Amino acid sequence: MDDLLLISFLIYIAGIVAILVLPKNMSAKIAGISGSVGSVALLSFALHSLFSKTIYTASLWMIPNIGYLSIRVDYLSAFFLIATAIVTLPASIFASTRVSYIKESNNSFLLVLFLSLIIFVILVLISSNIFLFLLVWEVMSILIYLLVNSGKSERAGYIMLAVGETGTLAIAIAFLLLATNAKTLSFEGLEASISSLSVGMQWSVFILSFLGFGIKGGLIPFNFWISRAYSVTPTAFIPFIAGATLNLGLYGIIRVNANFLPMSEVGFGVILLIVGSITALIGILYATIEDNFKTILAHSSIENAGIIITAFGASMIFLTSGHKVAASMALVASLYHLLNHSVFKTLLFMGAGVIEDESKTKSLDKLGGLLKRMPWTGFFVLIGVLSISAMPPFNGFVSEWLTLESLLRSVELASLGVKVSFIIAGVLLALTAGLTVTCFTRAFSMSFLGMARSKSIEKTKEVTKTTLAPMALLAIVAFLLGVLPTFVIPTIDRAVYPITSASATTALVPPFFNNQKVADKLPSGFVNDFHNIGAQVGKNTLYGRGVVVMHRGGKDNPVVFAMSTSYMLITFLILFGLTVGLVWLLVARKRTVVYKTRWDGGIKNLLPQMTYTASGFAQPVRVIFSTILRSNISNQKETASKHFRLSIKQERQEVHLIDRLVLYPLMNFAKKLSHLLAKMHSGKINTYASYAILTLLVFLGISFYM
Amino acid sequence: MSYWVKKGLKTGVVSTRYPKQEETASGITPGLPQITDNINSDDLISVCPTRAIHKTDEKLLLESSLCIHCYRCSRDTKEPLSWSEGFEWASFEKNSTPFSSTFGHSLHICVVDSGDCGACLNETKLLNSPLYNMHRLGFFITPSPRKADVLLVVGAVTQQMKGALLKAYEAMPTPKKVMAVGTCALSGGVFEGGFIAENGVSSILPVDITVPGCPPPPLAILHGLLSLAGRKNIKRGTK
Ligand code: SF4
Ligand code: SF4
Repeated sequence: MDDLLLISFLIYIAGIVAILVLPKNMSAKIAGISGSVGSVALLSFALHSLFSKTIYTASLWMIPNIGYLSIRVDYLSAFFLIATAIVTLPASIFASTRVSYIKESNNSFLLVLFLSLIIFVILVLISSNIFLFLLVWEVMSILIYLLVNSGKSERAGYIMLAVGETGTLAIAIAFLLLATNAKTLSFEGLEASISSLSVGMQWSVFILSFLGFGIKGGLIPFNFWISRAYSVTPTAFIPFIAGATLNLGLYGIIRVNANFLPMSEVGFGVILLIVGSITALIGILYATIEDNFKTILAHSSIENAGIIITAFGASMIFLTSGHKVAASMALVASLYHLLNHSVFKTLLFMGAGVIEDESKTKSLDKLGGLLKRMPWTGFFVLIGVLSISAMPPFNGFVSEWLTLESLLRSVELASLGVKVSFIIAGVLLALTAGLTVTCFTRAFSMSFLGMARSKSIEKTKEVTKTTLAPMALLAIVAFLLGVLPTFVIPTIDRAVYPITSASATTALVPPFFNNQKVADKLPSGFVNDFHNIGAQVGKNTLYGRGVVVMHRGGKDNPVVFAMSTSYMLITFLILFGLTVGLVWLLVARKRTVVYKTRWDGGIKNLLPQMTYTASGFAQPVRVIFSTILRSNISNQKETASKHFRLSIKQERQEVHLIDRLVLYPLMNFAKKLSHLLAKMHSGKINTYASYAILTLLVFLGISFYM
Repeated sequence: MSYWVKKGLKTGVVSTRYPKQEETASGITPGLPQITDNINSDDLISVCPTRAIHKTDEKLLLESSLCIHCYRCSRDTKEPLSWSEGFEWASFEKNSTPFSSTFGHSLHICVVDSGDCGACLNETKLLNSPLYNMHRLGFFITPSPRKADVLLVVGAVTQQMKGALLKAYEAMPTPKKVMAVGTCALSGGVFEGGFIAENGVSSILPVDITVPGCPPPPLAILHGLLSLAGRKNIKRGTK
């Protein structure tokens, strides 16, 4: 089974070679096939290594003075590989069908870049040597930049590259600090020498790596590139970039904190918790008021990264204060949400991209009425929307619920300050969850429901089956991840166990459903409590550990929770059936049914501009959060003579909070600095000569004292 | 700090006791002229602006559904008509019945202004005021015809409002009744035969009960509603 990793690499490389060699009109098909087949191999490899509990390691080649460039697939890597493979499989089929929509560029070349990006994303996840990691990280950043720009030169791409490079620099310094301490470049070496890290060193490594990986992962304060870059990326590639590469930043944060730093400082966790929850709120706030579906999704990616990091921060705090099981539960929640986010965000980006391409409009205010024209796209986007808004029985519900539940476990903690930060994070996340529903109700209803608000929509048609298939696949995965949490949690738990050295499986999914022996061991009160809510239904027939996720704490910890999305689904189905049956019963009697126009207020003919617009939908949120948003509102009045108004025009401009507080001050500072430096360039040869001499003197002085 | 509780207690109940008791306060109705058999003056026909006073079979008759209380027949003639002070004017159209007792306890009313001068609507609005307080009788105004039992129409049905009125009627669930309030709604009133409006609601919808008056006082409308609910026995129309 270990060969499968190599095989998947070979398939990707074969795809690249085939695209370069074979005629151009075949390149899309080749990319689709090699991308998806390779991902199947990758998925089976990752699942196998997670289930068979084998750590796959390999040394690639020896570089003098640096050592072996080695790769390693441990459980954490395997989990991330699963998430990547689940995204890559549909995303590469999707890319192959949509690449022809990119105009004025060499499409086969873009597909080569796309396949290489897949390879490098995998390499980032499995490299276990600082040198190799930084190398593939850098190549990956450049590949993303090339795909984002796709032959055009977009300002957004440059911003992304500039910020990304800053991040890489921070990551490199953090790793070098670790390497100086461990005197080796291999990850194993870093893990072995954790104990010799001084507190100051720990803090600098933490801050630098958090900053560097946070840029990739979309955390505040350096996430201003995400919304810019995602909204200009071609539809073909954006699902993969959003679904798979954002995870890399989060992977970095989790990897560094879990493996290379001793989890002893409670401050790290608190910082993650607070930064994560604020990121989540700011992300969803701007998602709610944006007008472009892709930008909405970009802001929502920021939000979800925030949720993931919040849960991870909670896990770290639990671990530093010795609550290992709670830590595992929070980490399971975090990774579960990461997996879910990859799935539904890829799905939604496919939908948003298709909408933008087919209707040729970017503004939600001009969309509408697409459901009649693209019913299947609408259906799959609806599933994505339900998942991301945390609606059962879809996947977002499970992980957001687990995240909030694990935050509630803070009652066990001793320190009041930490508890307060948990409460703040919990409140912010709850607010975020509420806004998410608003945001995606708006995004879906304004694009698919109501009347078409522009002419180009009239001609919009449903996309081909090959474009719909990846969306269908992801929708099914989103549904399965939602109704089978009791099977997913033990799987994720395998990746969590080495980090927290405690299993969350028994705590979250007690195994007494089909296993009488275990049930006898559990306290009878516990069994009885959950027996009443149906936790043991199907214990003789169902495979696995049952279908209820639950937890009851110890004596001093009163938090009890239980939920089962599987039952919820069954209940929903029964209720739905009953409703339909009831209606049928009532209607089956002799009734006259009259079909007339719905009551519309007696309007003569409804024009699209008379209906609710996306801007109108978001207005309450804008008003409520006006202190944070601080939009620039300019009023213009046109008057004839003094008091007779001809027109009033109001314009509103949103400047993102992060732009206002971070990006623009940074830019101003850079401008001022360059002005200062420009003064040195007087143009006189004598001055330059004196600079040279001064430099020489300074260096001589330094070398004299060294 | 407001003293509305104290003020309210001090004021006491101001609502009319109608329909349990007679309401005889002055000024609650504009009244209608009355024709007695011995009056037979062609002069009256010429002063009446709406042809409410007309002659059939050599007999002078008053069609109260056309009267606009202009008082010309009681002031500007040699033979002035006497004036009656009642307000129980509502009458069912032919073949129309009140709601059955199951539906008669509480009615939800959708008011449609199909182009009135404003007065009829104002009188209807007064039903909600403390003085008439129709809630005590189980009558409620609803903005949506989907929830209404009664469609209360005021105005002469202008071309612009015709579609909306029809839509509102179609949107109502059965059993439903249409109540035409005011001379305009009954026959077109002063706009009768004009190019801008229909000649009353009955030209486009099946009207169940009519309340004459220009405008009818609130108590007349209340009387109409009570009749619709089957709580007042009234004369049947012959038209
Ligand atoms: S009050 Fe005016 S409208 Fe009524 S009957 Fe007399 S003259 Fe005619
Ligand atoms: S009946 Fe009289 S009061 Fe009512 S709308 Fe017509 S003109 Fe106005």
